[in-house]
Amino acid sequence: MTLLSLQDLRVTIDTPDGPATLLDGVSFELAAGQSLGVVGESGCGKSMTALAVMGLLPAAARAQGQILFEGRDLLALDEDALCRVRGRRIAMVFQEPMTALNPVKTIGDQVAEGLRWHLGLGRGAAEARALTLLQRVGLPAPRFSPQLYPHQLSGGQRQRVVIAMALACEPALLIADEPTTALDVTSQAEILDLIAEVTAELGMALMLITHDLAVVWQNTAAMLVMYAGCVVERGATAEVFARMAHPYTRGLLAASPHGLDADLPSGHRLATIPGQVPDPHQRPPGCIFAGRCRRAADACLPRPPAERTLVPGHGVACLFPHDDEAPA
Amino acid sequence: MALFVLQRLAALVVTLLVASLVVFLVMEVLPGDPAAIMLGVNAREDTLAALRAEMGLDKPALERYLIWVGGLLTGDLGRSYTYGVTVWELVGERIGLSLPLALIAIVLSTALAIPLGVLAAAKRNKAADVGVMGFTQLGIAIPNFWFAMLLILLFAVYWRVLPAGGFAGWDAGFWPALQTLLLPAVALALPQAAILARVTRSSVLETLGEDYVRTARAKGLSRRAALWRHAVRNALIPVVTIMGLQFSFLLAGTIIIENVFYLPGLGRLIFQAIAQRDLIVVKDLVILLAASVVVVNFLVDLLYAVLDPRLRGARHGL
Amino acid sequence: MIGLAVTLVLVAVALLSLVWTPYPIAVIDVPGKLQPPSAEHWLGTDQFGRDVLSRIMAGAVNSIAVSLVAVGIGAGIGVPLGALAAARRGLVEEVVMRFNDFTFAFPALLSAVMITALFGPGAVNAIVAIGIFNIPVFARLTRGAALSLWQRDFVLAARVAGRGRTRITLDHILPNIASLLIVQMTIQFALAILAEAGLSYLGLGTQPPNPSWGKMLNEAQTLMFLAPQLAVFPGLAIMITVLGLNLLGDGLRDLLDPRLRRLR
Repeated sequence: MTLLSLQDLRVTIDTPDGPATLLDGVSFELAAGQSLGVVGESGCGKSMTALAVMGLLPAAARAQGQILFEGRDLLALDEDALCRVRGRRIAMVFQEPMTALNPVKTIGDQVAEGLRWHLGLGRGAAEARALTLLQRVGLPAPRFSPQLYPHQLSGGQRQRVVIAMALACEPALLIADEPTTALDVTSQAEILDLIAEVTAELGMALMLITHDLAVVWQNTAAMLVMYAGCVVERGATAEVFARMAHPYTRGLLAASPHGLDADLPSGHRLATIPGQVPDPHQRPPGCIFAGRCRRAADACLPRPPAERTLVPGHGVACLFPHDDEAPA
Repeated sequence: MALFVLQRLAALVVTLLVASLVVFLVMEVLPGDPAAIMLGVNAREDTLAALRAEMGLDKPALERYLIWVGGLLTGDLGRSYTYGVTVWELVGERIGLSLPLALIAIVLSTALAIPLGVLAAAKRNKAADVGVMGFTQLGIAIPNFWFAMLLILLFAVYWRVLPAGGFAGWDAGFWPALQTLLLPAVALALPQAAILARVTRSSVLETLGEDYVRTARAKGLSRRAALWRHAVRNALIPVVTIMGLQFSFLLAGTIIIENVFYLPGLGRLIFQAIAQRDLIVVKDLVILLAASVVVVNFLVDLLYAVLDPRLRGARHGL
Repeated sequence: MIGLAVTLVLVAVALLSLVWTPYPIAVIDVPGKLQPPSAEHWLGTDQFGRDVLSRIMAGAVNSIAVSLVAVGIGAGIGVPLGALAAARRGLVEEVVMRFNDFTFAFPALLSAVMITALFGPGAVNAIVAIGIFNIPVFARLTRGAALSLWQRDFVLAARVAGRGRTRITLDHILPNIASLLIVQMTIQFALAILAEAGLSYLGLGTQPPNPSWGKMLNEAQTLMFLAPQLAVFPGLAIMITVLGLNLLGDGLRDLLDPRLRRLR
């Protein structure tokens, strides 16, 4: 059953230099209980997609298209209705655990806040539930009292608190936006494992946003590759990794510092993708990646390439996709 | 926390010591013969001698300083030359006016400034924001004593609803006394409120951009709930510091405003003591007022630690 | 920029009053006293029949002169102290900052009270009192801004090149905080105008017969029931001046952003 369906989502933002296009026709579907990785460079629009789903776009941004969630178009809902979705049905884990928590409120209060707000629990009931949630994310009392303040915890421990907050109302969808980027390596694996466990346990769908291909490979069943506000490749994670049909996807792999860690054989040379992301104020009419693509030809320039299906479920928006196996 | 308090306490003591030393040097050593200043050029030699003896001017400066500081610490502030009563009695008499006046002014300015500042921040660049900012520009630019005169013109001269000055005294009952303090308190509060509203606005704007406000919104809190529960609560921490700093301006304002309204408070006392060259009273009042500024700021530092848990305890958990 | 325009007009009026005023400011005309505003006397006359407009114009000179010197004292002592604290750190910094804390306990009015109690009231004493109060403001600002500059690469480069602390302060630190100081001076100038008016109102500042806005308001207060207009115009002059200076300061700050914002 489809839980979340984006149809031709376009987001523009007003800047002093005129409107800039941040998302240019993003569409995808995510079924209940499934996991989806969204990967791309910083600025490719993956966080903007998450904020659009949350209804928390910056004030200057305009969204068009449809975001269907549990059968309702979130873009058509008023603010009150959105508030009943946020935190209740869709929850989010942010990149920076150091700043995502309010420094002057106890972690117990912050976990309990959503419970009291959405479920109308009393103080005692909310506190009891917060205690259970903190325990579930690996912060058991009495060592981690709910009376602690965020500054008394490490980065990984704070991210656990953020996850507990997100789980509080048992939402149907968890969006994790670069949840481990700010953490040290050991905490990274623990946090990803925790997210995988709790989403499986509660039957939550997971949208995992990252710039790290290895994280997608290890944690998601399906994935999207985004570039400059467009989806350039999508499919089952194993399928996409086996083929890496879009030149950008291959560039991303070549440019990732530690390849895919132990699970994929590494040993390739670290590369950079030459050129620059196009100016969001003046996007070229044709393929958005053509300016940096070694395979680009004249046919790429007049209009954007339509997405073609390579095998069922694996699509790529490219006229000249790679058809050999992905380099390991 | 204990270390923090001790540090602040040490700084407080040092500042007070230096302040008392400077006041003493300026008021007693620099002028040469304070008795001559107090009595003027036409004083008779025997009155001068009597005053010198009473002030202990025959003793060395260091001894006089120690006696003075000792007196301050034990509550013996000496005897006013012109009033003939102890300075302590004078202060006790008049603080009953000055303290309530200052408190009313603080309450008024806070009650006005914080909602206005939050409103302006929440409606950034909208009409309400522009209006509040315009009001604060005026509030800062208006001299408080002139504002006081305008209040008198309006409420006492034209409408005749409130007295133009004087103090009914608390013996006359709570309301009559409060009525006489109302216009002075408003005049004191306006410039404070203007500054405080600006500080509140910029502080709230800053916290509204913080990640934890976005987290609160992601939890499903409405814009208003996120504003009040997360942004405002955190924004008030620096605002409290500014309120502490404003206390010294409030004192300065009291000296002027008590004179505008002919209120027999500490501010007017210090002013009259100058006119009568009663150096004993001036010296004691200056150090008392300075001490109150230092002590208030010390208390604000402590309050800061109470409001911001990051300043309280050690790390935990790691 | 409204602020700039208001400030320029004010300075122009003040300079004009040095050579010409509608009426001589000191000539007493008792039969023509307490006139309401009219074609001859735009703002009316005071209790001695002197032209209020002329006296307000001359009062501008007084306000500007007192405030200028007072801010000059504050910046002239405060900026070197702050720069020294940032360059030397350690004990020097501690002493400067303690001195700051201590001056802070004495609002301008309180130090003015001490000074006038000893030396008698007067414009010079008012200048000294306001100036003293300005010292910690500039010291604190300079130290804070200079400290962050000392961490920057180009200063580090100069140190590696063997430049002395004084040279670096003069060549690199001060030029880089000049705009910040100019903005603060504008703000302190406005505050000094307010403080001078307050002191003169109390009779601790400029002495009669020299015209001063604060003193004019003081005299107007006793006549408030007779001639309320006298209590209005000098106050308006103060308010417009301070408003203009504050707007000028805001405008300058916006102009010099974002560099300023980072330094503060």
